[in-house]
Amino acid sequence: MTVRIAVVILLALTGSASAHAFLLHARPAAGATLVSPPKDVNLDFSEALEPTFSNVAVVDGSGHPVTAAASAARGTRMSVALQPLKPGAYSVTWHALSVDTHRTQGSFRFTVKPR
Amino acid sequence: MPLHLGLCRDQRVKHALAYCLSACACCGIAADASAHGIVGDRFFPATITTDDPFAADELALPTITAFNHETDYDFDYSKSIFPGFAVSVGAGYADGHDASGFSNVSVTSALELFRDEEDETILTAGFIWEIGGSGSKAVADRFSTYTPEVLFGQGFGDLPDSMALLRPFAITGQIGFKVPGTSLASKAVQWGGALEYSLRYLQTNVRDQGMPLFVEQLTPIVEYSFESPTDAGGGETTGTLNPGLIWSGQYTQFAVEAIVPVNAATGKTIGMIAQAHFYIDDIFPSSLGRPIFR
Repeated sequence: MTVRIAVVILLALTGSASAHAFLLHARPAAGATLVSPPKDVNLDFSEALEPTFSNVAVVDGSGHPVTAAASAARGTRMSVALQPLKPGAYSVTWHALSVDTHRTQGSFRFTVKPR
Repeated sequence: MPLHLGLCRDQRVKHALAYCLSACACCGIAADASAHGIVGDRFFPATITTDDPFAADELALPTITAFNHETDYDFDYSKSIFPGFAVSVGAGYADGHDASGFSNVSVTSALELFRDEEDETILTAGFIWEIGGSGSKAVADRFSTYTPEVLFGQGFGDLPDSMALLRPFAITGQIGFKVPGTSLASKAVQWGGALEYSLRYLQTNVRDQGMPLFVEQLTPIVEYSFESPTDAGGGETTGTLNPGLIWSGQYTQFAVEAIVPVNAATGKTIGMIAQAHFYIDDIFPSSLGRPIFR
């Protein structure tokens, strides 16, 4: 109970507390194997993002970019459209700057493997 | 997962050491700005038995330790002075079977010497000054102790695809040399660290397991902490192994660990340690949570 009270007091004192933007959901998901190629990558974060300094890149197994446009961040979501993907493994690398200027980054892979 | 830079691990280690020595020679020019526990893709939760290698704005309040017929209530507040350098103050109250009272105040400085975001590596130099006589005579030493130490953190994110499920593992470590300000006590090597498995890293960087957020924020951990006296007659090595669990939220973390003594000289029963920890840099991002000098 004491801890709960302390948290409430601390958060109440800050008013506009904000934190590191951690990745909550990704579509495609990390490590996913997809039957049909995705048209875009969508990442949802725990905090609102600073659009100018947040971005996501997608490359194929040879390291060539496969994005169809520049990535965009709006609110807590970052997304990027993809070129038509061939079967193979792809790497997603993201950098996020939360609105209070905390930086986070991450990367994962997904695979396109039609039946 | 981090991208490789075309260097083998030995080369990278050499580069790391060269960086470290250069940093020391230049009177400790710190690395880039730091946040609590983050290096590259990796988030290291704050360890509760051993020191971790981060110079950050954070508050541990309280840390409750029940071991060897004594219960300790401690706090520790760390303030970043400039990015990569922080000073912390810690103290507490010991409620023992035979005696009770306030423990000595400790002042610790931590200077981040090297960071490699790609390799999830961090190396830090620290110095602990336990101020003798600042606590109660009943439980605290009258003499000061001085402990220079080196700390590190290393994520396993660059393991090959065949070992992908091991990438969430990370280790932290510390080794220090404790020098008491009296000839009546032995000098000692203090060494310890942690082996941890980040479910968040598994979920977001390796393979989405569909875990609920609460589970994703858990980190199973085993900490170990030892002290080996170096003077003749200083006694045998003592230490504990502490398996436990840390939950890390956006602003706080809560941790609980068992304390398992490694020998009879350390203790005969299993104890417990628990801590509430606050990420001040996230709670007060534009005031108290920022370095004084940027």
